[in-house]
Amino acid sequence: MEDEYPVLLDTFVLDSEERLLVLRKAEQAGDAQNLRLAAHSFKGSCSNMGALLLSGLCKQLEEAGRREQLELAPDLLEQIEREFAIVRILLKSERQRYRR
Amino acid sequence: MTITSLPSSDGHELTIVIAGRFDFGAHQEFRNAYERVSSTPKSYVIDLKDTTYLDSSALGMLLLLRDHAGGDSAQIRLLNCKPDVRKILAISNFEQLFQIA
Amino acid sequence: MPERLSILIAEDSAADRMLLSTIVSRQGHRVLTASNGLEALALFEQERPQLVLMDALMPVMDGFEAARRIKQLAGEALVPIIFLTSLSEGEALVRCLEAGGDDFLAKPYNRIILEAKIKAMDRLRRLQDTVLQQRDLIAKHNEHLLNEQRVAKAVFDKVAHSGCLNAPNIRYLQSPYAVFNGDLLLAAYKPSGGMHVLLGDFTGHGLPAAIGAMPLAEVFYGMTAKGYGLTDILRELNAKLRHILPRGVFCCAALLNVSFQRQEVEVWNGGLPDGYLLRRDGPRTALVSRHLPLGVLEPAAFNDSCEVYPLALGDRIFLLSDGVLEACNAQQELFGEARLLQVLDANPAAAQLLYQIQQALHDFSGQQQDDVSLVEVSLVEERQLNRPPLAFADSGQSHLLDWSASFEFRGETLRHFNPLPFLLQLLLEVQGLRPQGGALYTVLAELYSNALEHGVLGLDSQLKQDAEGFAEYYRQRSARLLQLREGYVRFHLQLLPEGGGGRLVITVEDSGKGFDAQALILREMRLDGLSGRGLALIRQLSERCRGSADGQGISVEFSWSPDA
Repeated sequence: MEDEYPVLLDTFVLDSEERLLVLRKAEQAGDAQNLRLAAHSFKGSCSNMGALLLSGLCKQLEEAGRREQLELAPDLLEQIEREFAIVRILLKSERQRYRR
Repeated sequence: MTITSLPSSDGHELTIVIAGRFDFGAHQEFRNAYERVSSTPKSYVIDLKDTTYLDSSALGMLLLLRDHAGGDSAQIRLLNCKPDVRKILAISNFEQLFQIA
Repeated sequence: MPERLSILIAEDSAADRMLLSTIVSRQGHRVLTASNGLEALALFEQERPQLVLMDALMPVMDGFEAARRIKQLAGEALVPIIFLTSLSEGEALVRCLEAGGDDFLAKPYNRIILEAKIKAMDRLRRLQDTVLQQRDLIAKHNEHLLNEQRVAKAVFDKVAHSGCLNAPNIRYLQSPYAVFNGDLLLAAYKPSGGMHVLLGDFTGHGLPAAIGAMPLAEVFYGMTAKGYGLTDILRELNAKLRHILPRGVFCCAALLNVSFQRQEVEVWNGGLPDGYLLRRDGPRTALVSRHLPLGVLEPAAFNDSCEVYPLALGDRIFLLSDGVLEACNAQQELFGEARLLQVLDANPAAAQLLYQIQQALHDFSGQQQDDVSLVEVSLVEERQLNRPPLAFADSGQSHLLDWSASFEFRGETLRHFNPLPFLLQLLLEVQGLRPQGGALYTVLAELYSNALEHGVLGLDSQLKQDAEGFAEYYRQRSARLLQLREGYVRFHLQLLPEGGGGRLVITVEDSGKGFDAQALILREMRLDGLSGRGLALIRQLSERCRGSADGQGISVEFSWSPDA
C-alpha cells in the first residue's frame, strides 16, 4: 500500500469532512433518516481506517437516528467532531512521514 | 446391486453371486466377474438367491457368459432362482441352454 | 493461479472505495469503481465484470436495487455479488440475500478474508458456467438424438407399416416410439389370403434395440409376399438375427399364421409372455413360449415347430410384450400376470379389450407406459378384409404362354422344403395369372397339403372333427413327417394360349393309396366341419376341378381372357 497510502489518508480526511457537514445539516434539519444513513457510512470508513473510537461514536449516532432520538444527536455529534479533530492531527503527522 | 465372484479353491469352478436387480446396470460388473479372474474355470455357478429382478438385458449377459465359457460346451448352472426370476427364465426357455435349479 | 477477474466495486465512501480497490487490484484483478448503484449498473452493462463488491447503502440507487438489476441483466450466468456492509441487524442481511447477494463482507475489511471470498465465489461462478455449458451441450445432443430418432422412425415406419396392421380384424396398441424400446409389430397378408403377424421385443433400449427391427421386417414381409410358410420365415429370421446381432442381443417374438379359409392359427412363441387364444364361447388357451428367442441359437439347433389351433368366427388371438407385465407402480410392484388375467376374466368385447388393459395399466402405475405393445387378431370372414391385390415389383412376361413343366418332390425334400413359393414365383411370371394370384396360391396350397397330409403321410382328415382330434392330427403330422423317407408329390403345370388369353392346368399327384377324387369332391362339398374345407375351397376357387383318370391325383384349371 506504499504509494497509495498517503493518498488514502488525504482521501479519508476530505471524505470525512464532507460527511461531518452532511451530519451537521441533518441534525439541524431534524432529519433522522439522513442522520442514520450518513452516520452508518461514516462508521464503516472509520472502522476501515482503524479509528475505532470514532467508529463507535458513529454507531451510537446511527442508533439514535434509527430510534429517532434526535435529542441525543447534538451531544454525540460534538463528541464525533472532537474525536475527528484528534484523528485528523494523527493522520496529518502520519502523512508527514510519507512526504519526500 | 452387487456382484461377487468366488473361485473354488482348486480354481475349477467360479461362483458369481448377484444380489439385487440383475439388469442393464450390472453389465460391466457382471463381465468383470468372469473376465477378471486369474484361473480358467471349467464350470460356472450363478447364484441368484438374492436376485430380486432379472430383465432381458440380464438374459443377454448370461448368453455372453455362455459364449465366453465355450458356447454349447459351457457348463453353467443357475442356482436358487426365486419364482419371479424362474418365470422369466422359463418364458425365454433358457433351461435349454443353462442348468436351472 | 486463479484467473484474473474483472471486479466491480460500488461504494459511496471514497476512502473505502480506494482502500478496497487497492486491495483487490493488488490481488491481481482488474478493478472498476462506482460511487452509487446507478453508476454501478451502467458500468456493469458496459463492461460485464465477473464479480461485484456492492455497498448496501448508497445515494441515488442503493445496493439492493442495483443488485437486483444486475442479477437480472446477468441472466443465467452467475455474477456473484458480495455485499460490503457494516450492517449488523439480521433483517438487513436478509434483504441483501433477497436482492440476490451471494455473500457479505463486513467492515473493517480484512484482506485475507476478502481474497478467500473472491476465490470461493469465483469457484461457484465457474461451476455454474460449466453446468450451463454442459446443460447446453446435453440439450444439443438431445435435440440431435431426437432428430435422428424422428428420421429413423420415419424410415422404420415405411418398412414396418408396409404390411396390413390396418386390416379390420387387427387391433393394436403401441406407443409411438416403441421401436426405440425394442418393440416391433408386423402383419402381412399371405398371397393365399391368410395373414402373418409378428410381435417382437428386442433386448435393450434405444438405437441398438431398434436396429435389428429393419432386417426382421424385411425378411418377414419379403418371405410372406413370396408365399413362404411360417417355419421357413422363422428359420430365416433366426439365422439372420443370429448372424447380424452381437451376442447377448436377441428378439423375443411370437408369430401367428392365421388362415381364414381353413379357420386355423399356427403359433410360434419364443420368449414372449403367454399370449391367449380367446374363444367366443369356451375357455381361453394360453399360447405359451416354448422356444428360445430369435437370434440365440445356431441355425442347425433352431426349433421351428409350431402349434396349430382351430378357430371359429369371432375367436381372437391376443399377444403382448413384457412391458405390460413389467409395468411398475410407485411402490415398485409389477403389474404382473394376475392383474392381466383379471382383465381377461371380465371377458371384454373385442373393441374393448386393449382399451381396458391400457386403462388397468394406467390405474395401476399412474402413468403412460412407453414400452407396451398389445395386439389382437380376430378371425373374420375373409371377404370382410378388403385386401389389396397382390403387388408385383416387375412388369411380368406376357409372352410366357406356351410351356409345360413337371416337378416331383420326394421324401427327404418333403421333410424340409416347401415347394409352394417356388411354384408360385414361376406361375406369376405369367401376367394374365396375376389377378388370380391369391386364388391360385390358395388352390396350390390346398392341393399340396392334401397330397402331403392325406396322400403321402396317410393322415385321416376325419380326425379333425373336434379340437382334441385337431391337436392329435397335427401331432401325427409332425411325427410322420419327421420319419418320412419315401413317397412323392408331383406337380404338372401346363400353360396353353387360348383365344388371346390363356389356360393353366395343374395336376397334382402323390404316392398315397389313391382315392376316388371325384366322389370325394362331391362328398366334401357338403361337409362343413373342421375337416374337408380344403377340397371344397379348391372347387370354389378354380374354374374346373376333377380327379385324374387313375385316381392318383387332382386336376384344376384356371383361364383368363386377353383383357385380364
